[in-house]
Amino acid sequence: MVAIIEKRDLRDFDWLTASLAIAIACFGVWQIHNAVPSESYWSKQIIGLFIGLTAFLVIAFSDYRRIIDAAPFFYGFGLLLLFLVLTPLGVEVNGQRAWLKLPVVGQFQPSEFVKIPTVLMLAKYFGARRAGTLAFKEVLIGGAILAGPVGLIMLEPDAGQAITYFPILAAVLFLSAVKIRYVVLALAAAAIFIPTAYIVGVKSGVIKRYQQERILAIIDPESVDPRGFGYHTIQSIITVGKGGLSGIKGDSDTSQSVLKFLPEPHTDFIFAVTAENTGFIGCVSLLIAYALLLSRMIAGARDASERPGMLVIMSIVTALSFQIFINVGMALGFLPVIGVPLPLMSAGLSAILSTFIAIGFVVSIKMRRFVN
Amino acid sequence: MKLNEHAQNLGLRIGTIQIVAFVLLTILGVRLYYLQVVQGEYYSERAENQRIRLIPIPAPRGAILDRNGKILVDSRPTYNVVLSNEPIKKIDVTERVDDYANGLSLESKFVVERLNLIKTQNDFETMVLKENATMQDISWVESHSLEYPELRIELQPQRFYPHGLNMAHVLGYVGEISPKQLESEEYKGKGMRPGDIIGKGGLEQFYDEFLRGRPGYRKVIVDSRGRVQSEIAVVPPQSGQDMVSTLDLELQMAAEQQLAASSTKRGTIIASDPNSGEILVMASAPSFDPNIFVQGSKTPEGRKQIAAYWQEEQRPLFNRAIQGRYPPGSTWKIPESVAALQQGVITVANSNMACGGGIQIGNKFTRCMGSHGSPPLSYAITHSCDGYYYRLALKMGLNGLISMIEDFEYDKRTGVDLPNEKVSQTPKSFRSYVEKRDGKWNDIETVFASIGQVTVNVTPIAMLRAVSSISVGGKMYVPHLLKEFKSIGAVGQEGDLSYFPERQGFGFQRPEPKLIQMTTEQNELVVQGMWAVVNGGGTGAGIRIPGFDIAGKTGTAQVAALGKDTGKNKDHAWFVSFAPSHKPEISVIALIENSGFGGSNAAPAVKGVYDAYLIKRGIPLVDPDLVAKR
Repeated sequence: MVAIIEKRDLRDFDWLTASLAIAIACFGVWQIHNAVPSESYWSKQIIGLFIGLTAFLVIAFSDYRRIIDAAPFFYGFGLLLLFLVLTPLGVEVNGQRAWLKLPVVGQFQPSEFVKIPTVLMLAKYFGARRAGTLAFKEVLIGGAILAGPVGLIMLEPDAGQAITYFPILAAVLFLSAVKIRYVVLALAAAAIFIPTAYIVGVKSGVIKRYQQERILAIIDPESVDPRGFGYHTIQSIITVGKGGLSGIKGDSDTSQSVLKFLPEPHTDFIFAVTAENTGFIGCVSLLIAYALLLSRMIAGARDASERPGMLVIMSIVTALSFQIFINVGMALGFLPVIGVPLPLMSAGLSAILSTFIAIGFVVSIKMRRFVN
Repeated sequence: MKLNEHAQNLGLRIGTIQIVAFVLLTILGVRLYYLQVVQGEYYSERAENQRIRLIPIPAPRGAILDRNGKILVDSRPTYNVVLSNEPIKKIDVTERVDDYANGLSLESKFVVERLNLIKTQNDFETMVLKENATMQDISWVESHSLEYPELRIELQPQRFYPHGLNMAHVLGYVGEISPKQLESEEYKGKGMRPGDIIGKGGLEQFYDEFLRGRPGYRKVIVDSRGRVQSEIAVVPPQSGQDMVSTLDLELQMAAEQQLAASSTKRGTIIASDPNSGEILVMASAPSFDPNIFVQGSKTPEGRKQIAAYWQEEQRPLFNRAIQGRYPPGSTWKIPESVAALQQGVITVANSNMACGGGIQIGNKFTRCMGSHGSPPLSYAITHSCDGYYYRLALKMGLNGLISMIEDFEYDKRTGVDLPNEKVSQTPKSFRSYVEKRDGKWNDIETVFASIGQVTVNVTPIAMLRAVSSISVGGKMYVPHLLKEFKSIGAVGQEGDLSYFPERQGFGFQRPEPKLIQMTTEQNELVVQGMWAVVNGGGTGAGIRIPGFDIAGKTGTAQVAALGKDTGKNKDHAWFVSFAPSHKPEISVIALIENSGFGGSNAAPAVKGVYDAYLIKRGIPLVDPDLVAKR
């Protein structure tokens, strides 16, 4: 897989996408330091960043088409990993069996990585089809491809991660010429189904008490449950608001995260830390950086020479956008607290590595846009 | 678009995804603007409120000293286990009750009480869970600091009463301000908080404002579990002012011993300087240990003891000197004699009045203890002739008695600087009741009142004040215990918010004495009679001290009808006195409840105080027996 780097490759290499991603990740390392200066999360993240960059370069200079060709193998391997999580090899943290501990490799979170083979698998299947409207059978097969990993992740259970898989399928179907009327129909169905499912879930006990509280906490965090999830939401809102226009610039004496008022500051709530330390200016800059990165990737999708590449990029764009929205929305207190990391920012080797691999595919696809 | 798939509107669909992504990012930006720019200050303040705590530094209370600078009350350092409000708001406290109770050897009922009380407090306030923590308690708290971050050990100066039961009623005790007191006129708006220590009873209560210090505080940053991370500022406390009282510890201890040695061990002894109203001694028995109120209010045993104090039949919490009202018996004859002379019922030249061995009112004969013929006033005092006073009072009439009561202010509080002083009950206050009951004020009531019975119940302090005034020619001073408050220096820098200005010292502001109108001859006549009570073979002859002329009057007050006056219904014994008789330095009163005759029960108690006084003054005691043997 080691590519021979040619001069042409360097010319076509998407320096802007790579620079934006690295810049955001470096900004993230600084925020991880601000979050918990006394711990070494930030230095571990630097190591993670280097590992991620290495993987990024390897993928970027590989021919993505061959990898897509091998998608069923990666997909199968991914399912195997997700299955292993449920065996004694898995590690349970906070009631969730989302981690896998393997000799040599160490501990990692397969659900972060398996997104990529799932994307490749969907791209392979839907990229091969001819033009024309989508057949119902095709939709079912797409659903089946998604059902494998999502089903296994729900068994962990990690609803937060599972949710991030759905937009990928939605994007792929949408771009595979599903009829607009079906899109409208699906949206309408979701508008009815989700609240209904919630009510039925609560009544039947499938949605557990703590899950309900996470949702109720959004509606009125001050009164519903100030001790539990409401507390997280309240503290996150306070931390964000406290940042004001320009932030506290790393003053650890008053930092909400250093004083431990803000839970999970280096992972789930890294955005609140950013908001506290860099204020409105820093946060908007970060959002603009994300917007630029996404635009740059979308431009790559428009230029892609063939369907599977376009589908891979757009799936990744959709997944990243969705994760950013869910994570920041949670930090800003209008979405439920679910454990979705903020791409490129949240501490965690699995998260940063999988994101860089994904961006590696984008760059690889862009680099080969003139190749036939 | 390289992919030739216009039929699917692929470009449009990609554009749609891009727009959706941008719309989502814009939603986040708008929400950020609202939280950070619009509401930024509000959340900044909320964040500050949850991380800044003011930890009070208790101020030592001023000490109370006797007139010679000996310590009567001071403060000593103790450790308290303190409960913080903030961390326990996030937990179910009912789970902690048993842990606290076991770990700190507390009653779970008490723990529940405290937890409920702290719930009503503002955020970030603290409350004492256990005072006087032992080494065991301290190490328990320290070793469980991770489990129970809400508990903290705090150094607190604690009130200490080195003399225990002695003068407990005068000194009073301290305790936590009650929720009711927090709302009261006295403490409202003075920045008091639940858990603050205030004086309760006695001088501690009366002069609380001056004895109480101004607490300082530490301004600290805490983490989410309430653990102190760093200190921003310290405002040191300002101690309370030291009080010099008029009490004389040695005389006080002599009096306490006399009460302890008395037959019923119930009664009171008060001594004062008749020239100023300064109280040298105020003892009341049975007594209580104020240390139990201070230390024991949070332990099961202490609370049991406190409850027992309240319930005990002999009422140890009751200050008999200012709250007890007793029929004065024959001691009443002293102010009465002055009044009779003032009103012209008798004169210095002709003060004789028949004894008659008693008096017949209607079909009831009220007897005198002896048959004294027709004695002059001084003889009647010396031998306590009841028959004389029956006739004297009948001649004075009810109005004469009432004018005497008003003159000697038996219808008012004496104004002593102690809380909860009682007003004496007299024919003036009983008049309307008796007239309603009997239709009119019968002569028999006057006869009984003449010897301080039935419609007369006076406080010992009021009796001492009246008699003291006669010793100094009619100047009736307000009895008081304050000599002076010492000044206390300023704390902090002037202009600072935390600046406590100097608190100036001050002495007792003595009101002008009330003057009892009488001529020197009238005064001399009464004093002469009192002198002879001790020195002229009168009813108090047993306590004569050669070279130190005591003037006094015995009283034996009936508490039950004749024949039933035995056992616990025995007479109250009184002795009221001053000395030296013609240039008095000290006046002493003793009341021993239900002990019988005044001359043999109360008078010796008074003598004990005079003996101590003479030793202090440096006059060698001459034993009369020893003189006789030479």
